Amino acid sequence: MNRRVLTGRRLVALTSAAWLGAAAGVAPAMAQGTLRIAMTATDVPTTTGVPNNGFEGVRFMGYTAFDALVNWDLSSADKPADIKPGLAESWAQDKSDPKKWVFKLRQGVKFHDGTPFNADAAVWNLDRSFNKDSKQFDTQGSAINRGRPTYIADGGYKKIDDNTIEFTTTRPISYFPYVLTTIFYVSPTAFEKAGNWAEFAKAPIGTGPFIARNFKPRISIDLDKNKDYWDKDRIPKVDKVVLFPMPEANTRLAALRSGQVDWVEVPPPDSIAGLKGAGFSVVTNSYPHVWPWVLNTARADSPFRDVKVRQAINYCVDRDGLVTLLNGTAEPSVGFFKKTDARFGNPKNAYKFDPAMAKKLLAEAGYGPDKPAKGKIMISTSGSGQMLPLPMNEFLQQSMKQCGFDISFEVVEWGTMLVAFRNEPTASQAANSDALNISLVSSDVSMVVRWFYGDNSTPKGSNWGHWKNPAFDGLLAKMESAPNADEFNKAVTAMHEILVDDAPWVWIVHDGNPRAMTKRVQGFVSAQSWFQDLTRVSIK
Amino acid sequence: MATQDTIVVPTPDAVRRAEAGKGYWTRVRERLLADRVTLAVMILLACIVLMAVAAPLFATHDPLASSVLARLKSPGYNGHWLGTDEVGRDLYSRILYGGRLSLLCGVAPVAFALLIGGSLGLLAGYSGGMINSLIMRSMDILYAFPSILLAIAICGMLGSGLGNTILALTITFIPPIVRISETVTTQVRSAEFVEAARASGARPASIIRFHILNNVLGPILVYATSLISISIILAAGLSFLGLGVTPPDAEWGLMLNNLRQAIWVNPLVAALPGAMIFITSMCFNLTSDGLRTAMDVRI
Amino acid sequence: MWFFIVRRVLYAVPILLGVSMVVFVLMKMVPGDAADIMIPPEAPKEVADMIRARFGLDQPAHIQYLRWLQAMASGDLGTSIFTNQPVAEELFGALANTMKIALPAVFLGFSLGVLLGALAAYYNGSWLDKLFSGVAIAGVSLPHYWVGMVLVAIFAVSLNILPGQGMGPEGFPTTWEHIQHLILPVVTLSLIPMGVISRLVRANVLEIRSMEFVSALQAKGLRGPRVLLHIMKNAAPSALALMGLQFGYLLGGSILVETVFNWPGSGSLLNLAIFRRDIPVLSATILVLATIFVVINILVDVLQALIDPRIRR
Repeated sequence: MNRRVLTGRRLVALTSAAWLGAAAGVAPAMAQGTLRIAMTATDVPTTTGVPNNGFEGVRFMGYTAFDALVNWDLSSADKPADIKPGLAESWAQDKSDPKKWVFKLRQGVKFHDGTPFNADAAVWNLDRSFNKDSKQFDTQGSAINRGRPTYIADGGYKKIDDNTIEFTTTRPISYFPYVLTTIFYVSPTAFEKAGNWAEFAKAPIGTGPFIARNFKPRISIDLDKNKDYWDKDRIPKVDKVVLFPMPEANTRLAALRSGQVDWVEVPPPDSIAGLKGAGFSVVTNSYPHVWPWVLNTARADSPFRDVKVRQAINYCVDRDGLVTLLNGTAEPSVGFFKKTDARFGNPKNAYKFDPAMAKKLLAEAGYGPDKPAKGKIMISTSGSGQMLPLPMNEFLQQSMKQCGFDISFEVVEWGTMLVAFRNEPTASQAANSDALNISLVSSDVSMVVRWFYGDNSTPKGSNWGHWKNPAFDGLLAKMESAPNADEFNKAVTAMHEILVDDAPWVWIVHDGNPRAMTKRVQGFVSAQSWFQDLTRVSIK
Repeated sequence: MATQDTIVVPTPDAVRRAEAGKGYWTRVRERLLADRVTLAVMILLACIVLMAVAAPLFATHDPLASSVLARLKSPGYNGHWLGTDEVGRDLYSRILYGGRLSLLCGVAPVAFALLIGGSLGLLAGYSGGMINSLIMRSMDILYAFPSILLAIAICGMLGSGLGNTILALTITFIPPIVRISETVTTQVRSAEFVEAARASGARPASIIRFHILNNVLGPILVYATSLISISIILAAGLSFLGLGVTPPDAEWGLMLNNLRQAIWVNPLVAALPGAMIFITSMCFNLTSDGLRTAMDVRI
Repeated sequence: MWFFIVRRVLYAVPILLGVSMVVFVLMKMVPGDAADIMIPPEAPKEVADMIRARFGLDQPAHIQYLRWLQAMASGDLGTSIFTNQPVAEELFGALANTMKIALPAVFLGFSLGVLLGALAAYYNGSWLDKLFSGVAIAGVSLPHYWVGMVLVAIFAVSLNILPGQGMGPEGFPTTWEHIQHLILPVVTLSLIPMGVISRLVRANVLEIRSMEFVSALQAKGLRGPRVLLHIMKNAAPSALALMGLQFGYLLGGSILVETVFNWPGSGSLLNLAIFRRDIPVLSATILVLATIFVVINILVDVLQALIDPRIRR
């Protein structure tokens, strides 16, 4: 009898606790340990382990729920982020055959469904993108994974033993580990159960510090803490992260200010003073991003075929004015890497806003007051990493007038810009533009190769402007086959000096990648990277 | 969205008017002059149009000259009557210049649609039979798209830009204009005085010119005036979505789009382009109402 | 009557065929296909070709059209190029979300519109008439996305009493939190139907009032409100018809309001598909919205014919 009463009481206590828990769940603003983030993405990035929506997708739906063989070390805000072991514990380039790489896999790693990660799972995942006859072949995923150059030869990966795999590259690539950082690994068993990738997307299984659940397309996704994550230092401090896609800057602001989210990506520069005044913290840090004009050196009438004009226009960018316009959310760019970066080197040209110098160079190139250098720039109305393309370009147009540049615009929407960037600079898609204003990644050397290698010209590669410099290409070959870090770095620095002096791009600004968050968000370290570590963040 | 293409009610008035002859337009003028609200609105509208068309005369600043130090300032700042925009350009001057494109986006599609749709409707109504079916059934197809959907689809597919905006809106407005013009033409065609003209051996062209056009014009003009209002709002909406007019051209919708992030910094400045769209669109609607009453038209 | 309905429905078939053709031609005018947008330049050509083959982009246009039509007709709306999810799932989910604001908005717009229009006509010429007519004309002249922005700034941010974005919990709105999310978008979206319907009702009531039967009623000694009731009965069919049309417009036209409020409805799906060149989503969305619009038109016609037999000609 007594016992029954007790049980009854406990039951009441339990149910009321459950009820309270449920109530807390209904009011997400109050939920303990839930971090709500508004992304700029237009949609929840694909959840299948191959995130779309560019590097923002990788930031939020890549390193959260999944791991790559090689991860980024995002623990420091003071220096550019570098890579660190992920699902691979270590790797080595074969001394005798530099096209071969051996990766030792981390032992004891389990997917969220409890199945082990091993060489079979790794090869299975590579087949997903590189073997179109495999049953797990994923057309869209493959397009994204192979869209970033991987240099993996045809069939160039195999299992050596349970914890070792070997890659073969198309040519010796000294920086090969960097290109593996965006290929993620998912549970083959979970795919078998789901039957296809569309079903798998609803309950994706990876190895990451978070478990993706409750996927609602275009609305939100929950990332639950994975308390069994293999890297004990990176077990999330919050119980849950909820991601919301909010492409409209104003919507993100309203959501933050009205308490619907705790963290927004990229608040508009003009809102920052107000946000700070209202008690929000605004975090900025430099990250490897360039907002340039990619110059067309292929079109017959392009003034930018002449290196003097390319240098002149670099002397005619009012970078400080632009930074003021952006309320300090960007920093001036005078090269592909930042000036403080060891790889920046000592180029001859130290660009600053110097109309006299620009005029002098233009005069040497045969332009003058009666004959302004005319250039048409293709700009987009919006787009990933494009910051505020319209006011920024309109400001540049004005400031360049005083140096003798007559700049006009071909304004297109983001999709059209991407199509133009894919095609040759002389193709109709480029609409006779002399430059494209498209923001690009400058995270590591693989990106230098992507944008500037003479043999990587569009439509085959991503060197849109068809800039080709034999000295640069020579150094690049040296860098790719560098036997040690010292020679590698030397080559990279020399390459960068050429990039500044020969100026294939107009170096304009590096984005400061602002984020705004409530004071409840604690412990966020803003790494100098496109990616960020959400596991360190806690919420008060 | 802002579509008032209500169901077209047949207008026996057209016939009545046709019989009334010349005195009709005199009476319209008298009635208009007596309607003080419409008169005032028309004068305001004329001022807006004049100031936009002659923007260089009225502007106080270069609409493209920017200054990073004078961004988003309130009205009255340093000679900027209405303040400055997000890159420090004079808002008053930009609103004047912006009015040019906004009005163009309002008037041009309607004018083109009138020209094309009006002629198609005349043709359909006058010829009847196969030609009528062909034209009217194709219009039914276009009618199956809610108007803004059609405009967005066209602009989204062809890309943004002034030309495509005008094209998209023109295509959107053609079907309702064809319908009205066809309905009225059919009615007038069967009216006694047209039958009489035909019987007396008048050529089709002259019948159209003297009898039909004269009668079709009134209702169509009234409808078109209200369409201009819709056109301005739709064009601004397309710019707002990034599908419309492209910078650095000033256009009210685009200015609204660019300034909307300033709503936290300087709400008054951010709200101005929207207010201009509202006022102008309201003026066209009120004018249309006034004309409708004066012309005794029902659509 | 049945003959009328059957004829009306049959007539929708060629219209829808025409619509599908227009949609297809529009899609073909897109510069660059989804493969262009999706695949970065270095992707091997075979990958680009595989995407094209998978979505049939490598076939001749007429084959593509016929295949697409066949799939649509059999209810298969295809697969999104970007998310790899079935379009039907995304689209009908989004449509349901749009209904959540479009239905209340039409209802609110209709009630307010009829009320304001009837009162304005009843007090024809007085200051009330001017006020209500002014409100109505403002409703159709306001850029409603702008109104939405202003409402968010006031109610979500400054006063912080209503959420400024998003839909809140999923499912049928029952809780207060849920309804809170609806208020601003619904009010914004109801402006146009309110204005349009109010103008129509006012005009109709004035017209009917001048007709003979009203004088007859008044002669019989019926007083103001009763007469108005009779008048409203006569004005109802066209107002109902207009409401149907407005509902159709809202389904397609909520795109701007959904953008402002980050509402995951069909408008935002369409916007997304346009910018991603996600042709399967884009074409299916436009086609389905147009089909709904055609169906609404048929319903409106039938309704009108039921009320007013003269229309069945």
